Amino acid sequence: MNETEKLIYGGNPKSITEYFSLNKKIEQEKLRGNIKEKKNIKIALLSSFTINGVKEVLNVKCFQSDIVSDFYVAPYNQYLQQIIDKNSQLYKFEADIIIVFIDSKSLLGEYFYFPYRLTDTERKDYIGKLAAELITSIRYLKDNSKSKIVLHNFEVPLYSAMGILESKMAFGFLESVQLLNNKLKDEFRNDAGVFLFDYDTFCSKYGKKNICDPKMYYLADLKLDFSFIAPLCENYLSYIKPLLNMNKKCLVLDLDNVLWDGILGEDGLEGIKLGPTGEGKPFFEFQKLILGLYERGVILAINSHNNYNDVEEVFKNHPYMILKEKHFATLKINWEDKISNMRAIAQEINIGPDSLVFIDDDKLNRELIKDALPEVLVIDLPEDPSLFPETLSEINDFNVLQITQEDAKRGRMYAEQRKRQEFQKFATDITEFLRGLEIVVTIEKVNALNIARIAQLTQRTNQFNMTTRRYLEEDIKKIDKSGNFLIASVKVEDKFGDNGITGAVIVEKEDNKWRIDTFLLSCRVIGRRVEEALLAYIIEEVKKENGKILIGEFIPTKKNIPAKEFYKNNDFTLVKNENGTEIWSYDVSKDYKYPEFIKIVKKNIL
Amino acid sequence: MKSLKNILSKVLEIEEDKINDELTPADVETWDSFNGLILVSELESNFKIKFTMEEVTSVKCVKDIKEVLKRRGVTLNE
Repeated sequence: MNETEKLIYGGNPKSITEYFSLNKKIEQEKLRGNIKEKKNIKIALLSSFTINGVKEVLNVKCFQSDIVSDFYVAPYNQYLQQIIDKNSQLYKFEADIIIVFIDSKSLLGEYFYFPYRLTDTERKDYIGKLAAELITSIRYLKDNSKSKIVLHNFEVPLYSAMGILESKMAFGFLESVQLLNNKLKDEFRNDAGVFLFDYDTFCSKYGKKNICDPKMYYLADLKLDFSFIAPLCENYLSYIKPLLNMNKKCLVLDLDNVLWDGILGEDGLEGIKLGPTGEGKPFFEFQKLILGLYERGVILAINSHNNYNDVEEVFKNHPYMILKEKHFATLKINWEDKISNMRAIAQEINIGPDSLVFIDDDKLNRELIKDALPEVLVIDLPEDPSLFPETLSEINDFNVLQITQEDAKRGRMYAEQRKRQEFQKFATDITEFLRGLEIVVTIEKVNALNIARIAQLTQRTNQFNMTTRRYLEEDIKKIDKSGNFLIASVKVEDKFGDNGITGAVIVEKEDNKWRIDTFLLSCRVIGRRVEEALLAYIIEEVKKENGKILIGEFIPTKKNIPAKEFYKNNDFTLVKNENGTEIWSYDVSKDYKYPEFIKIVKKNIL
Repeated sequence: MKSLKNILSKVLEIEEDKINDELTPADVETWDSFNGLILVSELESNFKIKFTMEEVTSVKCVKDIKEVLKRRGVTLNE
């Protein structure tokens, strides 16, 4: 790291001026071409008022998260013109993400001051009309760009001329702004391209009285005080990180003074403080928040210096231990160094260290990990345990843009995987082990329920992926419509649990020659011969429609070595090898059987 | 607490020794209306005061800032 980089990364800017000065340094670094190994994003900002400062602060925040950002800021209050003109700078910029920040006063106009000049019905109509217009322009923006859109909802005002009678009004003023927000939420609830940012809650968090400095507003139409630009940008990062696949997947926890108050080895089961009252309460609630993350799909792991048996006793016998052994994908409870443990955790779960978040109360351990594994996000846990829950709630790195059923179950599935591996240790022979797993593979042609997951798998699967072609849901819909493709998902279950949809294939039908466009399996289910079941299924389909030849491709990447030998091992013949890209062929008149220990279920819902 | 000179130098990106009482926005390229507001915000948080709108609009040079600060009971050691 050079001096400037140190300044940029180590910098924790306290004021807008400090952000501006870091921003300038970053821009200089960019010009010098000193930037490597970072992700890029193009951000467009549309607003109804002066948002000077947002670009600079967001640029710094992105850079500190290893993202190089490029901005387009629409001219003052020109958001609508920019949206409706297809030739505008906004569309030319081709943003990855467009943030639309319109404030209540600008949108509501005179209604903001005189809502009660209108009758109850007129108010309702007016709000309905505003919502419809806004929705139309956002839809138009979406249809004419490939960007994800983050739309601010509206701050519910604090004041009504009706005073205490506001709550007695039929369709009151404040209520009407809430209704507007609800309409927007309903409209975009199931839209994968538009996200409603709850700006009203953001304002409440910092206090609606503080968020705008009236003097700045009257002087320069600044509706957001400078000191809240940084937290706002932090919220924007919650969308940007998952858009770049930079979201974290696993929370790695220390135990002593993190999940309970005290040192287990010294204080013992009875001595540690954990429970619904007194000093143990923040820890008790901290554990509940962690369990909440687990239930929405975050994988949990432990990296702690302790005696395993002592901890096991806490899991079993402590009345207030919320987190149980079964919630953890791996438990590194030993006296090894924490760095090796951390590496082992990543390896066992089969994710990169850049997917890990580490929580430890000991500053030394934190620095150790930061230094050895800079990709791991290390949380600076405050000294005071009463701040633990809040600290956890402010981690925005677990956000995903879309949650599939598989995501929600992920934490549990990894914990089940550990049981499976323990079971493997007892089985002597691999086939015996696989038979003992009682694997059920469900193959399902593409339908409304699995399409999002199929697209997600093409985006995320790197290892057992023959071609690494990335598709969006829209792409898959399109190729499915053509009628020339076999598209299917694979679900894998066994006696330890349900892995969910963990594989997909896309095969193009060309007369009697079929071509495997995509063949992938999540690393979670590799090594169980599910891939063979999937291939058997494809061959069966080719035969059914009187195809003769099945073509497979292997396109090498840095990560897909596990897939390299697949066609070779399954009796395909190499036709061509061009710069590493291999074309393989299989004559389907040859017999190919499903692995006998796997139960196959074929589903076809349309 | 930072000094007035220090804040001016940081916000306007000029050397501290170039700052004198007579300095006006016309003399400094970076002293535009937006940086003027940033300056207000930095002075307010640094000296823990809130300016009125009139105080903000009345400032024409560095000396004016000093006078407003003095009136607000801020002691300047420069």
